[in-house]
Amino acid sequence: MSIIENKRIEESIYFQQLDSGLNIYFVPKKGYKQKHAIFAADYGSNDNHFVPIGERDPIKVPAGVAHFLEHKLFEDRDMDIFDRFSRLGASVNAYTNFNQTAYLFSTTENFYESLELLVKFVQNPYFTDSNVEKEKGIIEQEIRMYEDSPNWRVYFNCLNGMYLDHPVKIDIAGTVKSIREIDKDILYRCYNTFYSPSNMVLFITGDLSFERIVDVVKKAERKDLPKAVEEIARVYPDEPTKIQKQYIEDRLATSIPLFSIGIKDNKLNMQGNELVKKDLVTNLLLEILFGESSKLYNELYSKGLIDNNFTSYFTGKVDYGHSLVLGQSNEPNRVYDEILKHIKDAKKSSISKEAFQRIKNKNMGGFLIGLNSLNFISNYFVDNYFEDFLFIDLLDILDSIEIEDVENRLVENIDEENMVLSVVKPIH
Amino acid sequence: MVLSCDRIEIDKGVALNLISADKFKSNILSFYFTLPLDRKEVTGNALLPLVLKRGTRKLQTSLKIQRRLEELYGSNLSISVDKKGESQAIRFTIEGPKGSYIGDRKYIIHMIELLKSIIYDPYLENGVFSWQYVEQEKEILKRLIESKINDKREYAIYRCIEEMCKNERFGIYPLGYVEDLKGIDAETLYRHYENILYRAPLEIFYVGEYDRELRNFLIDSFKFSKENLIENPRETVTGNVQTKNMIYEDMDVSQGKLAIGYRTGIPYEDDLYNGLMVASDILGGGPNSKLFRNVREVESLAYYIGTTIYRYKSIMLIDCGIDFDDFEKVIEIIRCQIDAMKNGIFTNEDMDTSKKSIRASMESIHDSAFLIAEYFFSKILTNDNRSLKESIEDIEKVTKEQIMEASNNMNVDTIYFLRHLG
Repeated sequence: MSIIENKRIEESIYFQQLDSGLNIYFVPKKGYKQKHAIFAADYGSNDNHFVPIGERDPIKVPAGVAHFLEHKLFEDRDMDIFDRFSRLGASVNAYTNFNQTAYLFSTTENFYESLELLVKFVQNPYFTDSNVEKEKGIIEQEIRMYEDSPNWRVYFNCLNGMYLDHPVKIDIAGTVKSIREIDKDILYRCYNTFYSPSNMVLFITGDLSFERIVDVVKKAERKDLPKAVEEIARVYPDEPTKIQKQYIEDRLATSIPLFSIGIKDNKLNMQGNELVKKDLVTNLLLEILFGESSKLYNELYSKGLIDNNFTSYFTGKVDYGHSLVLGQSNEPNRVYDEILKHIKDAKKSSISKEAFQRIKNKNMGGFLIGLNSLNFISNYFVDNYFEDFLFIDLLDILDSIEIEDVENRLVENIDEENMVLSVVKPIH
Repeated sequence: MVLSCDRIEIDKGVALNLISADKFKSNILSFYFTLPLDRKEVTGNALLPLVLKRGTRKLQTSLKIQRRLEELYGSNLSISVDKKGESQAIRFTIEGPKGSYIGDRKYIIHMIELLKSIIYDPYLENGVFSWQYVEQEKEILKRLIESKINDKREYAIYRCIEEMCKNERFGIYPLGYVEDLKGIDAETLYRHYENILYRAPLEIFYVGEYDRELRNFLIDSFKFSKENLIENPRETVTGNVQTKNMIYEDMDVSQGKLAIGYRTGIPYEDDLYNGLMVASDILGGGPNSKLFRNVREVESLAYYIGTTIYRYKSIMLIDCGIDFDDFEKVIEIIRCQIDAMKNGIFTNEDMDTSKKSIRASMESIHDSAFLIAEYFFSKILTNDNRSLKESIEDIEKVTKEQIMEASNNMNVDTIYFLRHLG
């Protein structure tokens, strides 16, 4: 067992690797009533082209398999998983994103029993033809729910504008058509490939004992799974740096046009501290350029071109990355033009030291406030873990950022050539 | 940790509630003004915090306010206009990291003063609000009101309640009405603001670390004598069906949204209300509930389905997203499941599970400073003197008979269905 401490934020992380290859991390939170556990696989909707374990040739799977698998792991031969958690007083959930699939629960009582159940149900799949078939109706309704969301549509259209071949442009849940192709054989092949202990992590936070956590997991985990398989062969297309399409327009039942401006990243293949630093630098830059305290925001707001929904953020992993500037406006094209002009002006002048320091302060405060929430800690941990970064050191990386880093990022990445405008207009 | 609140009446109509909490990394300060939900005033009430956020006498633009917040280590300012039964609560909140983490223990004073100036010392022109700010925020509010159609699930719930309570104040939309905006200008809004400052009951909450010095500072800072206080009357609660509606609305959507409103007539003051909470949870509280199991897991008809109780009005709502063609099938399953509840067809285990789930959500209040403030505020609104522990014990005591009795009080009032054109 090892303990990593950060005195400045008064948090620590306990760590132990089990013989199975499974890594367990724990952040104690004294005085908290809730306890959270999250069991996540380094496997998301992007991993749709890979060599299944024990096979030689790569296969391409239908869109939505990782998400479908997430639904189906809740199936068990002789017990209802939802039921079991509920009886323990725990609330269980799961999510799939581009890069991870995560199973989680929160509870105020019976934590260790719930933890045992979490490990067991995720490690013991039970897929049958009929239970796979049954799920299609449920997921179809989930897909239709997203189809009616203007925010989701404007976002995915923007991804489609930025990317030519990368799977990040494919809807996480797939389509009503693609999920019909999914059967239990595909699910088992994906499961066996991606749910090995060494491709997963277990993260726990709350007022708990780490020793007991480790004991429970040791007893609950499967002992017959192949240990430390070799690196999973995932195939990612060679995504060009250029974008697919500059402008995409769509229509949906919405009160006002929504827009999403995507800026495709051109500096990839980073990991760990380097990737987190890039993430922080880009987010600082976006905040300086487009945040509520920026000149642009206040001009557009005064002109009635944007409202409080206007926001921006960067997200990226090893193999893809993009900044998004989002909002709603009666004149999205005019907003876009003003943004382009603002970027050109910003490149000509230098970033003010005062603004840089202010936004750094803001990020620091935001992170500290975030640490109040067990949800924030769990999600933040998992999101960064597979990129080789432990969230606890975030403020130290933030400190290391210089104004030049932000200026360089502006010059290198923020350019009309990498930019896409996606608009969803009202039907009438 | 036992939650306790030190409540000090610092002036007529102004109470300061201090809640000491040391496990959080931040401190939070919230102001709640409570007003009756009234069609004539709801739009002005919703507009007011938007205009106040635009500038103070010293920091005359939102840009300056925002920069000040950033200097104060990213202190977070938020406002909301919520419906609390047939009252409307205007909330202003500021939250910032504790001084010990940023090596600046005094900055909390600046944080408190900033929120105070936003509420009490607005930017004025010729003795009233800025004409320009008011016009701009009217446009913003108009968009906010119109954008309620964007989230179809929320929209269906709101429309169901609007139809169900069309003759009651509870049916009023808390952000107001577009057609009422034209009657508001900088002058009338300023008079309205003064009326709220001097007459609306105010509850202030501070959750975090404090010493005697800070306590006194808060008391001195927020002294403000009110007169002729506005009263917020208790909602009328009835179990009788008021409208008996079947509403279809057409929109270009790919999934139908069903919302069904029930009258229960069980006021929160009544012990049976605890039975209603458990009944609602067994029926549609989570993935273990009867509706989730039967509509989703058995029949694969929905991705989400659940129940909500509206405490102040004793209304229960069921909502789900389904195929247009499955409407009748789903209605029938819901009817059968409610019948089962009425006839006591649920197990001791169902009861136990639901009680645990309610207890867990009540106990989780301890883990969020914001929820702690909201919890104590709702206790004040409902004159509930029980401790959190006592409220949980009341849930534990609920019997099968009470759950059946509460279920027998669920009367369908309005069925609302959002579906595709034609």
